[in-house]
Amino acid sequence: MRTARGRIRALAAVVVLATAGFCVVASIAVGNARDGFRVIGHDAGPQVLATADLYFALSDMDSQVAGILLTGDGNGLGSGPQALSRYSLDRATADRAALQAAELSAGDPAVQATVRSVLDGLGQYERLADQAMVLGQQANRSDGPPPAGVIAVYREATGLMKSQLLPQAYNLTLADGATVREAYEAKHSAVSSGRVQVALAGLAVLVALAGLQIFLAARFRRRVNFALALATAGLIVVGISAVRLLSGEAAQLQLAKADGFDSILTVSRARAISNSMHADEIRFLLDPGQADTYSLDYLDTSQTVLYVPSGNLVEYYTGLGAAMRAYQANPAAVSFLGFYGQEARAHPGPGLTAVLTSFRQVQADDQLIRQLAGTGHSRQAIAVLTGQSAGSSSYDFDRYDRAVVALISLHRQRFDQAIRTGDQDLGRSVLGSWAGLVPLAGFGIALLVIAGVRPRLAEYR
Amino acid sequence: MNRERAAARDRGRGAAAVVLALALALSMAACSARPPSIAGQQALRIGVKADQPGLGLRLADGRFAGFDVDVARYVAARLGVQPDHITFVPVTSATREKVLENGSADMVIATYSITPERGTLVTFAGPYYVAHQDTMVRADETAIRTVHDLKGKRLCAAAGSNSWERVTQELGIAAKLVPAPSYSACVAMLLAGKVDAVSTDDLILAGFAARAGPAVRILNAPFSDERYGIGLRKGDLSGCEAINRAISQMYLDGTAARLLQKWFGQAKLQLDPYVPQFEGCG
Repeated sequence: MRTARGRIRALAAVVVLATAGFCVVASIAVGNARDGFRVIGHDAGPQVLATADLYFALSDMDSQVAGILLTGDGNGLGSGPQALSRYSLDRATADRAALQAAELSAGDPAVQATVRSVLDGLGQYERLADQAMVLGQQANRSDGPPPAGVIAVYREATGLMKSQLLPQAYNLTLADGATVREAYEAKHSAVSSGRVQVALAGLAVLVALAGLQIFLAARFRRRVNFALALATAGLIVVGISAVRLLSGEAAQLQLAKADGFDSILTVSRARAISNSMHADEIRFLLDPGQADTYSLDYLDTSQTVLYVPSGNLVEYYTGLGAAMRAYQANPAAVSFLGFYGQEARAHPGPGLTAVLTSFRQVQADDQLIRQLAGTGHSRQAIAVLTGQSAGSSSYDFDRYDRAVVALISLHRQRFDQAIRTGDQDLGRSVLGSWAGLVPLAGFGIALLVIAGVRPRLAEYR
Repeated sequence: MNRERAAARDRGRGAAAVVLALALALSMAACSARPPSIAGQQALRIGVKADQPGLGLRLADGRFAGFDVDVARYVAARLGVQPDHITFVPVTSATREKVLENGSADMVIATYSITPERGTLVTFAGPYYVAHQDTMVRADETAIRTVHDLKGKRLCAAAGSNSWERVTQELGIAAKLVPAPSYSACVAMLLAGKVDAVSTDDLILAGFAARAGPAVRILNAPFSDERYGIGLRKGDLSGCEAINRAISQMYLDGTAARLLQKWFGQAKLQLDPYVPQFEGCG
């Protein structure tokens, strides 16, 4: 008699223990999914956007200053005092983005130190830029390169920007990108393998439950133990939905990373580097003494954004034209590298096509500017740079930048959508959030098992 | 009866063990599918130059010395590799991709400029320094002040280097090219009056200038950016990210400024002790 009682107890204990194991495995997997969405969707992801804004604002400040110095009336490349107000706006954006990046880093000392260093350098930059702009205004002249004294101060300012501030801001973006990649690799594989582990653990509980029921049925000649049947059904429902949830989470995580985040990072970097590229075009006209350096920088940055093999700018324009024609003819064969090469291979589409078309126009304007400047027509070159209609560099560059921003927001929408879906699925089950449901379900199953065996055990009293 | 209870317990244990073993096997399979990264390795073989004074030079006793070598030691230490577990492998400009590909070196730190073409073959961490192309002339030369003054002058064209192309092709300056097998040969020809100028990365020039002493002069008129990267086997993203963190730290803790001063301080170059803009690993 005591033997049968002991066996029932032992079998029930195995079921309860297996259930506990199932709950632990499921909780860990759900926790991994939650962590993945937290890092990618709510910490490092938004931080990437903040630091990309920081880079852009800094780089744009320097282009605005160069434009203001190049135009004799001190109005910059826009009409009227636009350039100055854009400069102040950039300054405010840079401050805000820097603080946001520091906040989002949650006390990471390396990030904090870098942000502090950027803000310090920014103060220094502003003093130099203000000094250059005041000197430029005093010079009272027509459009074209300002006097040597002004150039000397500007060189110091732009040197500070290019060699200290921009690299730090850019590296912050990359570091966040690395954080996201690491979190993604770890969490995505943990969630994927968690799915298999949950299925196996659920199976183990099922086997134990079946064993218990078979034993009871054989011993007491009753076909169905109602409580145990209910526990089995509950387990099947919870197990299947947990596996489905985890599959869905892994898929959303992958979508957020590959369809959203990766492209946001790539195109944001392209936008940042493009702005530096445009600034190098302005500096080329502003500072003839350094024209060689700025031309080579312009070629380097252009190639970073969209690479075609070319030893100098003339070859680049030609190569770009050929690559674009080939791409239009057959978008499946991407012959170029660089950021847009990466994007064209991963996510071709009308958004990218608009970006590429306007990028080519920007390069056509640049070619014209350099042709004019090279043949002694600097005034005409400056007119092409500063004009405010199609076919002039400032206008076309703004249009290009808007196309880039549109492409970034397209990926941002996909990213947000995937993160939202992932978050919602985690928070939505029959009984509230999954984190709460798993232990509750386990507890319920254990209770049902006890309720199922208690009357049988009582028969031995 | 005790035996039966024990048997039941054993059965339970057996089931749990099976589940555990399956789970373990699955998670191990997931781990081993990833290619090996240099991050987390105990020992490293690092490719450096053997003939570039100031950057990577093999000394008479077989040891290596130079800025690149010191950077390699710092980065390796940051990756958790003990100094006596580093093996330096001599590389030339032509063998840098090959040693990574065939696995005879884990990383290459050898005045390795990051270019988009090379980026298709290897993964670049860094740059750890941005050198600038500059020009070296004899100390008594007064007619050459900027690279544009090289028009009509004899410019040394070292084999395997593309620096002279930057002058004649990218900048379109009509210098007379005089071929030479290497930069050490170029410097010897400069001192012998067989060429008028040697134009390449300022760090390379600084290394030679330190040897040649007061007989030569660097113009200090830089005109291009050469981003010195750390080459890794293609696709080693976590290794690349770990190295970038190490490079950031190298600038943050002042080591970079100290090493630049140690190797190039005498040359009166404009040295940038600020962390360069990284290339990005992906």
